[in-house]
Amino acid sequence: MRIAVSVWEGRVSPVFDSSRRMLVVDIVDGRAGDRREVELPADSPAERVSHLRGLNVSTLLCGAISRPLAEWLQAAGVEVHPFVAGSVEEVLSGYLSGQLNRADFRMPGCCGRRRRHCGGRGRQGEGR
Amino acid sequence: MPRRTRPPAPVAPNVTGTILESISDGVFTVDHDWRITSFNRAAEDITGIARAEAVGRRCSEVFRASMCETDCALRQTMKSGVPVVNRAAFIITAEGRRVPISVSTALLRNAAGAVIGGVETFRDLSVVEELRKELLARFEMGDMVSRSPLMRRLFDILPQVAVSDSTVLIQGETGVGKELLARALHALSSRREKPFLAVNCAALPDTLLESELFGYRAGAFTGAIRDKPGRFALAEGGTLFLDEIGDISPALQVRLLRVLQERTYEPLGGTESVRADVRIVAATHRDLAARVAEGAFRQDLFYRINVIHLALPPLRQRKEDVPLLIERFIARFNRLQDRRVPGVNPEALALLMSHDFPGNVRELENIIERAFVLCGNDAIEPAHLPPELVARLPQRSRLNRIAAAAQTVEAQAILDALKRHQFNRLAAARDLGIHKSTLFRKINSLGLDLPPQDGRSSKA
Repeated sequence: MRIAVSVWEGRVSPVFDSSRRMLVVDIVDGRAGDRREVELPADSPAERVSHLRGLNVSTLLCGAISRPLAEWLQAAGVEVHPFVAGSVEEVLSGYLSGQLNRADFRMPGCCGRRRRHCGGRGRQGEGR
Repeated sequence: MPRRTRPPAPVAPNVTGTILESISDGVFTVDHDWRITSFNRAAEDITGIARAEAVGRRCSEVFRASMCETDCALRQTMKSGVPVVNRAAFIITAEGRRVPISVSTALLRNAAGAVIGGVETFRDLSVVEELRKELLARFEMGDMVSRSPLMRRLFDILPQVAVSDSTVLIQGETGVGKELLARALHALSSRREKPFLAVNCAALPDTLLESELFGYRAGAFTGAIRDKPGRFALAEGGTLFLDEIGDISPALQVRLLRVLQERTYEPLGGTESVRADVRIVAATHRDLAARVAEGAFRQDLFYRINVIHLALPPLRQRKEDVPLLIERFIARFNRLQDRRVPGVNPEALALLMSHDFPGNVRELENIIERAFVLCGNDAIEPAHLPPELVARLPQRSRLNRIAAAAQTVEAQAILDALKRHQFNRLAAARDLGIHKSTLFRKINSLGLDLPPQDGRSSKA
């Protein structure tokens, strides 16, 4: 199984739609094996999707991602874990130990297992 | 007068806070480690993130703008000291929505004038963006362009259909752009580096089509002196577009079914099966389900092909696209022929808008190409349109343009109603919701040329 983490300055890249690099890691027996960093094609979503497919990536760990792109990737058979934050190494080991749902791996404003927006303040919030 | 040398006016901190809270622009500040130190109410509203969650986190993980990684405005300002004003970008909300914004940045200084971080203000441009889209109100996919909601629905699902690799059946009348749609599917799919081949199944006799599709081995028949690869082999790894699939013979249907089911085939005269990694996009202008019911098309093949069904609406169901397409064709012919035709005049446009286009987009394209031959560098007028369209134009309508256009549409409606009722005037008048004498008056005043047949005595 092969996973990819979008990276920027050693952390998960904040926006997958415009991120430029990702780390591709082979997972063997639940452990990280071979890894390499690859460039992502510039902004065309179609190229991003086919690039991931071409690399046989089955799971993507990334930061913020627009919904159409996430759905497109899922339709192409790539499992997407969106809105992940943190250093790449910590996120990777968090994923391997099944702890990606920990609060410190979540981007602000995103919560819960499915990482849906959970209200709080924001657009839905009434005036105070 | 350099602003930075002047100490800030002594405004009470709570007043500054109130001002920041009440403006509609999002404002946040960061320290030298890019951690958020303040986050105003509008910033909460636009990003959907509560202040308590934002403060102390890295700005890129809170703000999540397209520019964060490659072109951070705040980073530039912190480095150069020069403010950035109104740079366009988008941010991604927790719901995965892209929100267009404009960003301005400046250095943040304390009372002593020392730089303590940066400040970024941003404005939600969603409304502006919506208005801009509304104005353009068109969307494109590959070489196709439309502003019709029918096409929009189709374009919306196309990217997901493209990556799925399933067989697709495109149904649509002749000239609606079935091949363009197939090409768009190919271009959006992971196969786009590989070939796209189109075969018109109705254009070749059966035996020829078979060798065309599957190829043959040397010695398969007289004259087959060497192997010839078929379209399936040539399209290996890519997409094969089979146009007019509804017209193939029962024997070929069986062979095609086998390729679709088992992904293998045998070239003519060959003994070994060949694997085929080809995505099939089939198209037909016929109602394939009806052909199945008639027994002319195999049901099992129909279900194999009809995995994803895309129906392309005819041009008459999306008349709003006619002006858009005209504009496109004129721009293209101007470019190809190095001409400067400005457009179509209102009377010609009215004629085109009232035409039914049985030949669909291709017919419109041909009409414009024909007009280009005749119009020089002037706007296209009714005289440059084919006679069958112009025959509908009232002869003496040169009063003024809008009246002429209205007359043209009126004449067209009357002619259409008459045709529908085999030129029975009374029935046509009833259909149009006018009195029969009004109809007669209009026929005379518009100078409509009607056939002698009047629909009352139809002796077949």
